[in-house]
Amino acid sequence: MRQNQLLFEELLLPHLDGAYNLARWLVGTDQDAQAVVREAYNQAWAELGEFRGTDARAWLLTIVRNRAGTWMRAHSKHSRTIQFEEASNVVLSRKPSLKPSPEERKRELHQALSRLPFEFREILALRDIEGWSYGQLASALSLPSDTVISRLSEARLRLRQEMTEVQRRGSEGVRE
Amino acid sequence: MNCEEFDHFLDPYLDRELDPGKLSQLEQHLSDCPVCRSLVQECLDFRSFFRSNAPVYTAPPRLRANVLATVRRERLKSELAISRRPRIYAAAVLFFGLAALTIFLPGNAKELSGQAVARYTQSLTTNHLVDIASSDQQVLGPWFATKLNFTPPLADLRAPGYPLLGGRADVLQNRPVATLVYQHRNSIVTLFCWPPNNGLLAKGNHFIKGCDVYTWGNAACNYIVVSKLDKHETDAFVDSLRARGESGSY
Repeated sequence: MRQNQLLFEELLLPHLDGAYNLARWLVGTDQDAQAVVREAYNQAWAELGEFRGTDARAWLLTIVRNRAGTWMRAHSKHSRTIQFEEASNVVLSRKPSLKPSPEERKRELHQALSRLPFEFREILALRDIEGWSYGQLASALSLPSDTVISRLSEARLRLRQEMTEVQRRGSEGVRE
Repeated sequence: MNCEEFDHFLDPYLDRELDPGKLSQLEQHLSDCPVCRSLVQECLDFRSFFRSNAPVYTAPPRLRANVLATVRRERLKSELAISRRPRIYAAAVLFFGLAALTIFLPGNAKELSGQAVARYTQSLTTNHLVDIASSDQQVLGPWFATKLNFTPPLADLRAPGYPLLGGRADVLQNRPVATLVYQHRNSIVTLFCWPPNNGLLAKGNHFIKGCDVYTWGNAACNYIVVSKLDKHETDAFVDSLRARGESGSY
């Protein structure tokens, strides 16, 4: 048991920031993300004996991803989109002719991300933030590799479309 | 390869997930097609923008403490469950009996904890926190060696926010113990420790008279930590002790 705790602290605790970051991407708010991470670590502790791999981070993040999915199903019945806190309630208003400042573009990106469906945020976070290979994605998400490719392409396309939409709304002063 | 086919493989190409054969076909097409080259550049620019601006969150310190505390609770629960299994318990008693060791039962740990809390409170009310005010191991070590015939593990926890104020020689259940007094903000955390010559102290976490008390023992020492800090702060203190290594593991 003590050895398990040592394993847990050495293998899994160093990835707390990564786990929390992924949870924030998937469920949105700090409070919900903390709840998901706590649940994930509890599960990881309970199943530590089953961990046979070498990539503890991937193992932990897969648990976080599963927990976040369950959390979203349980807590947001109508929508699986989220609000990134710093992006919420900010109307990005500017004249269409003006080029957005870097700060505006960053906010636009966050708003666009928050408008994506869960599955798209998930695959973007795992591939473009965590750097998972297509093989890892296929295994963790239980998807055929062709579907990994198409979902990733679709997620990136949709993100750019949402950015355009956010920019359009900003230039028209439309509030959500 | 035409532009439509190129488009289909664009993401795996940019993600470097193509096999060498397909890769060379795409590169051939790219060298011939300015439109696709421009598309690739546009995608690379967006990726670069995305990587620099996508949200990256850091776990709040409280979450780390919560996760650790939960695991520690679960571990204690499991260990207690094991110790309550009659056969294992009997075997353990027999084993340690043969080894001429005394294991402190949780009840005794609680009694010791009660006395530790009383000493903790007394030191605050009488405003006599330490017999020797120093955080210097070269000063405290010899002082304890003279007073108690042993030197407790002396952990400097200034960095994690628990500066050592000094030491005290106390007695708990007629046993001389070394007391180390730490400060965290305006609160005092006291660590009682002594060699485990007469047996290891049972692991436990008690809440006595408003104080959070942790007890444990290892080959180096028995330990009792008493504080009135928030639980996560006491946990952080115990973790810091653990991380120092000198104090063994909880």
